Amino acid sequence: MTKDNKKKLLAQRHVYSRMNFLFQASNLMAEGNQAKLAAYYGKVCRNVGTKTVMHMAPALKRSLCRRCSLPLLPGVNAELQVAGEPKHPKGATPPEASSNGEAKTKKKRHRRRRKKPEKSDETKESRTSSGPPETERICLFLECSLCQSRRSFPADNRGDCWLEQPQSVVQVVSLPGENGQR
Amino acid sequence: MEHATNDLKEYITDQVIPHQRCNVNINPDHITMLEGTKIKKQHSRKRRAHKSGTLSRREYAELGLNTLPTKQMKYEEALPLHNLWKGYVREHLELREGAEVPQVHDPRYDEFSRQLVKLDLHGAKLKVIQSKCRTLENLSGICIMDTKNVLKLLGRDHRLRTIPKSECVFGLRVGNMDFTIFGQHLNIRPAERSVKKIKSYVEPFM
Repeated sequence: MTKDNKKKLLAQRHVYSRMNFLFQASNLMAEGNQAKLAAYYGKVCRNVGTKTVMHMAPALKRSLCRRCSLPLLPGVNAELQVAGEPKHPKGATPPEASSNGEAKTKKKRHRRRRKKPEKSDETKESRTSSGPPETERICLFLECSLCQSRRSFPADNRGDCWLEQPQSVVQVVSLPGENGQR
Repeated sequence: MEHATNDLKEYITDQVIPHQRCNVNINPDHITMLEGTKIKKQHSRKRRAHKSGTLSRREYAELGLNTLPTKQMKYEEALPLHNLWKGYVREHLELREGAEVPQVHDPRYDEFSRQLVKLDLHGAKLKVIQSKCRTLENLSGICIMDTKNVLKLLGRDHRLRTIPKSECVFGLRVGNMDFTIFGQHLNIRPAERSVKKIKSYVEPFM
């Protein structure tokens, strides 16, 4: 049984290595200030994943911009802001949760609020350690410099997605061939 | 800002007759860029509401993601990518030090050639060996972009060249192994190549 599992995992290993390579390449280009190429490699990496029906680790997936697939590195090509979210998302109006022109009309605000709780169930800020100490309902906003899209990440890890919780790990497979090689 | 002026400089230089391009000297102080917010239209509020999570093709093109500048990237900047690619190839093809190409009668041969087709070419050093178009022959460089019909190679002279795949035969060197790639069979989108089923026998000629 375990042998079969291993074989299955090994069969897709080439795809993993390719996606891994593309992700690294895109980060490399982002650091070298080649935003267009970085976004292109990010996009190819994503496309390979969708074509072969493979999943990226959620933390890695979140580090790519949702709109343009640029790897977001705060300080290099992304802006990181910290803002509090209202405690009762359905009641009072948000005082400064969304800065400048994000929410202008009342309609828009309603929409935003409805979306946010759903998102916070699935997403979790991957760089919590670099951010401020965890408090109630603090959100980190990442703004991509290429396509100006903003994304918010709640700074607490109560709403982790399943894949990031330790009990979701069933089995760890290490590849013996490469350890011997290097 | 820097990038914007670079684009502009390149554009102006391209307008000049080729043999006088080296004399073009643009003083960056003379370039005035008008920056600021766009004019707010009446229906801008309406449009905001429909802003989607993904980029449409038009927005993607407007950001300039389909085109790369031809002269702004340095060859040295692509070298780390090439080094990364070298590591990737060794992992992908399971190469060891001094590995040879398996012979046709080897049991490993089938698997090896199957993986070879699925190899990612971003960052590879490629050379055009043979082509229907004479001017393309003997061009070489690091492959930076790979689309369905075209490869973009960054040459040693810091120029990005666009080379059609279907007309060319490419040479690829990994360690001490030489590969010849018939571009005709490479005419697939790079993302689709890893799922594409490959025939066991294909006509190798153009």
